[in-house]
Amino acid sequence: MAAEKLSANFKRNMFTENQVLRAILGICSSLAVTNTMRNSLVMGLGVAFVTGLSSLTLSAMREVIPHRIRMLVQTLVIAVYVILVDLLLQAYLPEVSKQLGPYVGLIITNCIIMGRAEAYAQSNPPIPAMFDGFFAGLGYAMILLMVSFIRELLGFGTLFGFQVIHTAPENLWTIMIMPPAAFFIIGSMIWFISARAARKAAAKAK
Amino acid sequence: MKRGYVYTFLFMVAITAVLVFALAAAYEGFKPAITANKDLQEQRAVLYALNLDQNLSDEQVVQEYDSKVAPQPLNGLEEVNGLPILAHVEDGQPLAYAVPFEGSALWGSLRGYLGVTADLDQLTGLVFTYQNETPGLGGRIDEEWYKSQFRGLPIQEGGTIRYGGQPGYTLDAVTGATQTSQAVLRTLNKALENTVFAGEVE
Repeated sequence: MAAEKLSANFKRNMFTENQVLRAILGICSSLAVTNTMRNSLVMGLGVAFVTGLSSLTLSAMREVIPHRIRMLVQTLVIAVYVILVDLLLQAYLPEVSKQLGPYVGLIITNCIIMGRAEAYAQSNPPIPAMFDGFFAGLGYAMILLMVSFIRELLGFGTLFGFQVIHTAPENLWTIMIMPPAAFFIIGSMIWFISARAARKAAAKAK
Repeated sequence: MKRGYVYTFLFMVAITAVLVFALAAAYEGFKPAITANKDLQEQRAVLYALNLDQNLSDEQVVQEYDSKVAPQPLNGLEEVNGLPILAHVEDGQPLAYAVPFEGSALWGSLRGYLGVTADLDQLTGLVFTYQNETPGLGGRIDEEWYKSQFRGLPIQEGGTIRYGGQPGYTLDAVTGATQTSQAVLRTLNKALENTVFAGEVE
């Protein structure tokens, strides 16, 4: 396989093959954490960090991992990194750890991490694999922040906890902070991106 | 490359052993820092419930706690669920009590301290030391605007705290988190009945 340039890798993971909008991975956490921007940011960074490190480790071991148990090994490595992140936060950033509590553990269930391990890390060298994982996590973080921008602004009238819209609470859209809002916002985004990709493909075919 | 069962099996055992060992070592290494953080958080929480926490630094929290807070029985009760009832003591006189409480909310248990003045007619504060509610929804009970509503809230024996406009106070629930909000009041009212006003009942 021809080596992919870092910039191309970045563009692919952030835009053309964004894991959330194009591969529809990591949807469960995208629905849950996107009602405030702060939660989205920390969750996004956590996922980027874990995906990068687990891709690096799994790629470094790719020659010695027996093929038929590779998923067991992937899960094991990912779990170790997630627990490490949790311990680090508890030890050095107790405030963040308190706020994120249940989410850190949930990073483990994010399909993007295993998706990158399967799709990229097992057939590419460690350093590109690390960047691939990290960029995929950033692409995820970007979508989370876009969705939470809409939800927090219209649902709470705040951005990162700062009051932006000054109005009576009854004027805000409570539906935006409830799970259904994430369904239709992410749904609309996927629709938009897919329609655009389809138009491009059709123009190419002509 | 095709490999035999023996290699596969040994590989799994080896990698598991290595990773588990690494994690155990990391946990041991971080343990002192994590325990210290937990103790500090607990002390900060108690000070908050007693309305003694004014943006104190970590060192000040330890100092304030050591000089002003002591275990103090209330209605003959020394502890609740294994945690001691604490008080803000000055010149040997309790000024306010921090009563530990525990209850169950929507997703998990709820623990914290309820601050009550020594004459049991007002709350001095409410703080949660453990909650597992949905971040951004029920988790917002841990935010300042919610907790600070309880400071100075009048209480009386036989009375229950309720949401909405009440005689003497107004209390707002968290939007989109009705179950959690109700669970908080259920837990607090239970703590009032079973601990704060327990003496009068017997």
